[in-house]
Amino acid sequence: MEKTWSVKIAGPAGTGIKSIGLLLAQILNESGYFLKDYSEYPSLVRGGHNTYQVTFSADEVYSVHKMVDIFVSLVPGHWQEHQKEFSKDTSVFADNDGKINLPLGEMCGQLGSTIYGNTISLGLICYLIDIDKDKAKIIVGKYFGEDSPNLDAFEAGWQWGENNCQKLAVDKGKNTKKMIIVDGNEATGWGLHKAGLDMFVAYPMTPATGVLHFLAKNQDEFKMKVVHPEDEIAVASIASGASMAGARTAVGTSGGGFALMTETISFDAQAGLGVVYFLSQRPGPATGMPTWTSQGDLLFAVHSGHGEFPKAVLAPGDQEEAFELGKLSLNLANKFDIPVIMLSDKNLSESSANTTDFEKEKEEKIESLKPKPGKGQKIKLYNSYEHNDEGFSIEEAEESKKVVELRLKKINEILKEMPKVNLFGSDRAKKIIVSWGSTKGAILEALKEMPNKEEFAFLQIRGMWPIDPKIGQIISAFSERILIENNAMAQLETLLKSQMTIDFTKRILKYDGRPFFPEEIKEALND
Amino acid sequence: MTNWRSTIIPTWCPGCQDYVIYAGLQNTLTKLALDQDKTVIVYDIGCIGNMADFVKAWGIHSLHGRSVPTAVGIKLANPELNVIVIGGDGGIYGEGLSHLIAAARLNIDITVIVANNQLYSLTTGQSSPTTPKGIKTKSTPKGVESVPVVPLELIKAVNPEALAQHVSCAEPLKVNEAIEKAVKHQGFDLLDLDQLCVSFGKQLR
Repeated sequence: MEKTWSVKIAGPAGTGIKSIGLLLAQILNESGYFLKDYSEYPSLVRGGHNTYQVTFSADEVYSVHKMVDIFVSLVPGHWQEHQKEFSKDTSVFADNDGKINLPLGEMCGQLGSTIYGNTISLGLICYLIDIDKDKAKIIVGKYFGEDSPNLDAFEAGWQWGENNCQKLAVDKGKNTKKMIIVDGNEATGWGLHKAGLDMFVAYPMTPATGVLHFLAKNQDEFKMKVVHPEDEIAVASIASGASMAGARTAVGTSGGGFALMTETISFDAQAGLGVVYFLSQRPGPATGMPTWTSQGDLLFAVHSGHGEFPKAVLAPGDQEEAFELGKLSLNLANKFDIPVIMLSDKNLSESSANTTDFEKEKEEKIESLKPKPGKGQKIKLYNSYEHNDEGFSIEEAEESKKVVELRLKKINEILKEMPKVNLFGSDRAKKIIVSWGSTKGAILEALKEMPNKEEFAFLQIRGMWPIDPKIGQIISAFSERILIENNAMAQLETLLKSQMTIDFTKRILKYDGRPFFPEEIKEALND
Repeated sequence: MTNWRSTIIPTWCPGCQDYVIYAGLQNTLTKLALDQDKTVIVYDIGCIGNMADFVKAWGIHSLHGRSVPTAVGIKLANPELNVIVIGGDGGIYGEGLSHLIAAARLNIDITVIVANNQLYSLTTGQSSPTTPKGIKTKSTPKGVESVPVVPLELIKAVNPEALAQHVSCAEPLKVNEAIEKAVKHQGFDLLDLDQLCVSFGKQLR
């Protein structure tokens, strides 16, 4: 197994951290490395403290690491709060700030503008990890323009590295398969598109906004429509109306917007209209911490909407799964004419990885069988009241009991189509880790590196509702059962216990807005 | 001739002016000979919304206040459809007012018909956004404190290109004409139909 390497860049918002982060990811991708990235930023547009980090390896990597090998502070004062992420081998660069002195200010001065600190740093990083310089410069040139002074900035950073530093012993990337860089939001957009999405409706809300941006930008190419209306209630209502008129429809939001949509989830279920609700979680309650991560809305999603009705809740664990389950969500919504909620979180939505080229994946489309206007079918009323076959309101006891039962009968059919659990490791292991959603990466990365990894199996649950009752038997077969969730109240445990007999011998919970890092999981597992 | 009536007999109170609107809509749909397969009516919740069960046409009986955005979704998904909203003053001017303004700004080609009796009548007579200041209702025993919404002025203020009409249900022929004009109009239009609630509207006479 080849070593993994981690690079982190920090500085105020507006210094171009995200752009060189994405460039670095692209350069690594095209140099044959596997990578995962992650960025942190406060809810403001200028100033503050932003970071971008990427972990890469010649072998597969599942998550960013907490400990970094290369750290660059783009302006003085941005390394100090990261000292716990430094080992004795970490190269920390900062401009005249008590670490390896990278004179970014002076070098920017020679280039004639203060804005080149990011690209100078990129040149240095590429030198340190021994990237093919010409290849990197082509990518930089494509991004900034062939005659951009950023190419000189890149060269200056590389030269400074040559004059002042040793290259690190990074193994050459060896992946030759063509891969693309996408974050969880873009992967979701690709998945919805490849299931024949006709309309996406959203009101901006971090960390879900990326899907809106991605689909809005590509709507002509994808032959679909993107709508941004007055509020989230309108978002959901427009989606329901569009679904009735025959469009394959999805919406996107975070917890606060989802709260406003819950009356419509109930309506969709009553009227029999399929809509996908993409819910990217961030820490609540209320506005909470908008740009940070959480798994705090699982039970909210499962219980969303008044009344008793069938719905589906799916939770992908990484970018590849965001694509697969995005596709499945839209197909389930149309096959069963129900609301389907796809749960992501900031950690998945806004973190990138190199993945399969989704554009080349085939379209898979299950059509709704409900009657639609304009196609010569038998006229129907879609009703928010309890109703009969034609859609007319009913209140009579026997008849209403029958339609309730008919509606709830869908649940067993839905369960058969839900994504199966992923069981990693041996079922003869002593201990089982149980988790869901974006914690998948940090858990797999931790297990990859643990010398005692044979002791552990890992069960990743992806079909959150309706939930397969057999999960209880899988978990109970292990003598130690460890729950890992990125929330404070162990919501998966509550959900499992409501449906099956189960108990955990250990809980590892994190609820500070940050995702799990593999180092923390290793430590907690061996604790 | 296309039949636009379902087999269900209307359940409004005897003497209710919702019958005038129902007849006006039936007359217009028949006279204009709209393609029944391409006509969708979205009903709000309220007395007038119960028309959903009495009409034979594609329809959505939506949630309270959400008839307008639901109709917007239908029209955006399939612009070939004729889309008509039927609602009351509670749903359209109260719970869903921001949606009405947004649809008017978008100038989307839908017709919004409002039975405006200045009361919440299905819930037995509370004040609505159009109840005049000072009127006592079950929810405002000391009199309404807000000034009422003036729908026509509101629509004209947000989009002068939109068609906004105001007619009294006491003049059924004018109601017919106004519905016809509204349905024919290209772009957003609002038809505000003044009416009196025969069961809970005594104080508004």
